[in-house]
Amino acid sequence: MNEKLQFQLRAQISQMDSISTAPAILMPLLEMLRLPSDRISLEKVVELISYDGAIAAQCLRLANSPLFGRRQTETVRAAVMALGLERVRSMLFGLCVNRVMPQDKWVIPPDAFWRHSLGCALVTQRMANKIEYPEPEKAYLAGLLHDLGFLVNSVLYTDGFRECLRLAAEQHLALHVVEEQVLGFSHCDAGQMLCEHWGLSKELVDAARCHHDVCLLPKAGPLACLVHLSDLLCRVRYLGYGYEEFMGVDLGGDAAWQALVRSYPALEHMDLVRFTFDIDGAMDQIVATVDAVFGAKTMTAPASG
Amino acid sequence: MAIEIAKAKPVAPPDSTPVDPAYLKIRDLIYRISGIYYSEEKHYLLKSRCERRMAALRVTSAPEYFEHLTIRGNRDAELRLLLNEITIGETYMFRHPAQLEALRNVILPSILQAKGLISLKRLRFWCAGCSTGEEPHTLAMFLLEEKDKLLAGWSFEILATDLNDNSLEAARAGIYGEYALRNTSDAMRRKYFKDVGNQKLQGNDLLKAPIRFERINLSDDSKMLFQKGMDVIFCCNVLIYFDLASKRRVVQHFYSNLLPGGYLFLGNAESLFQVDDSFRLVHFAGVTAYLKPTAALAGGGKK
Ligand SMILES: C[S@@+](CC[C@H](N)C(=O)[O-])C[C@H]1O[C@@H](n2cnc3c(N)ncnc32)[C@H](O)[C@@H]1O
Ligand SMILES: [Fe+2]
Ligand SMILES: [Fe+2]
Repeated sequence: MNEKLQFQLRAQISQMDSISTAPAILMPLLEMLRLPSDRISLEKVVELISYDGAIAAQCLRLANSPLFGRRQTETVRAAVMALGLERVRSMLFGLCVNRVMPQDKWVIPPDAFWRHSLGCALVTQRMANKIEYPEPEKAYLAGLLHDLGFLVNSVLYTDGFRECLRLAAEQHLALHVVEEQVLGFSHCDAGQMLCEHWGLSKELVDAARCHHDVCLLPKAGPLACLVHLSDLLCRVRYLGYGYEEFMGVDLGGDAAWQALVRSYPALEHMDLVRFTFDIDGAMDQIVATVDAVFGAKTMTAPASG
Repeated sequence: MAIEIAKAKPVAPPDSTPVDPAYLKIRDLIYRISGIYYSEEKHYLLKSRCERRMAALRVTSAPEYFEHLTIRGNRDAELRLLLNEITIGETYMFRHPAQLEALRNVILPSILQAKGLISLKRLRFWCAGCSTGEEPHTLAMFLLEEKDKLLAGWSFEILATDLNDNSLEAARAGIYGEYALRNTSDAMRRKYFKDVGNQKLQGNDLLKAPIRFERINLSDDSKMLFQKGMDVIFCCNVLIYFDLASKRRVVQHFYSNLLPGGYLFLGNAESLFQVDDSFRLVHFAGVTAYLKPTAALAGGGKK
């Protein structure tokens, strides 16, 4: 990405009114996402949710849905308890982002985007647990945020990005490769800048920037590597960007894997096939959760509660 | 503000009853012995298979059944019976579409490109443990459909082998009922089969031409040594019956039978973890396969 373009994109992001003025609860929410779930106080979450009528209504509705056994849930507090913190966190994040995304600007279908993002979050976290990475919650967050750059591109370069998706789908190619060719930069650059703009930690910024090429970092950080690998795994497990990519992935031969093995020898003995089976097994759950939380209709809920 | 969640598939609530730890031990035992793995979400399947055996033995608890599998005198026989229970269920055509997609989209293009540089435009496939022939017939249909597209200018042959003479005989006859054909489209039925009455269809000459059936015991080293020059080997749901040592041996044979750049496919829930590390594990959309690397790729990294 050349300097001029970089400068321009950065300026555009800071002026993007929808994204730069994220809903008031986004920042405290991101803050909260970073904590291990046992350190989050239920009261804090309930308070956050109650700020926002539409989001509160969403929580209640979900908690009362067949997915959760149609409990009679009438308070936000009960709803959060029924849903579980994990679900509530990703749901809140998704709802915030959906709120700032103008409906007509989605290029990647929103359900595909959320399945991929949530899938990556869960896989990154599982993998982090496997290697005993000290902050699995942060790994979850890195997975959840890694492709936000797609949303920037959808808003700022709607037509160009649409063309990227069309070409990638037609030729079954990786989207970031086509972005580089058509736009001159990829969602990795855009995601990096958005994360910086939001003041996220350096590690999360790096994960957004380097998740398709960990060699960009002088010393590949574990988060970027974990996200890179989960992104690949999700894409070969039908949690991609809503089109069919023709790819064969040798995870063990991947630079990110090898960088991780150097820092986490436990990985060397990890049974990748078995890990994949576990993901396959969890897939229905991921898809059902995403559909319930971000299902197409849910997203158009107007901001009144 | 209509919010629709009805479309979502109902899933087990997060607080569903925990599994008996004995089943986890059985799961790990099965995985170690046969390479078949039951993920958390598939436990109910493992449970129902075990319960059938438990009923036969009049055993009522999972821990007790685990003893039958591990310390009782009849443990080997019981393990075999459980494995039979697990691998039961007839096979049918187009059972693993993801394998065929991976072949069409990634594997064959890369093999054709590499082999195209040499003049001999021929591909060899092997279905090892083909049972009653659904697998090689599926492969034949798939390849015949690509004959004028991806495979234009190429010829191919399929070696289909099994140890069981009765299965082989059925495979040669190639007569199938509705169950075996459940995933086979009408167009394919018309093109590759003829009606032989009794609601059965028989593969026609077009379908059978590329397939050669032969009896091969995968543990017969002298025979295994001769199957050279393979591009892709399918050995699905067969090695589950083998102990680790013989499994290793068979897989090593496959490795030398394959050309560099060739692939080995196993059944959906099988794995070569700790069986062999000369192959490289490759993930494709919805399926994994094992690559025999070309010289440039060989060595280094995790397999
Ligand atoms: C469950 S069937 C698999 C059929 C088919 N490949 C599929 O996936 O549907 C297993 C087959 O392996 C064959 N088999 C078992 N041991 C074998 C051996 N040592 N050599 C060759 N075939 C063997 C059996 O005869 C049986 O037909
Ligand atoms: Fe990405
Ligand atoms: Fe991604």
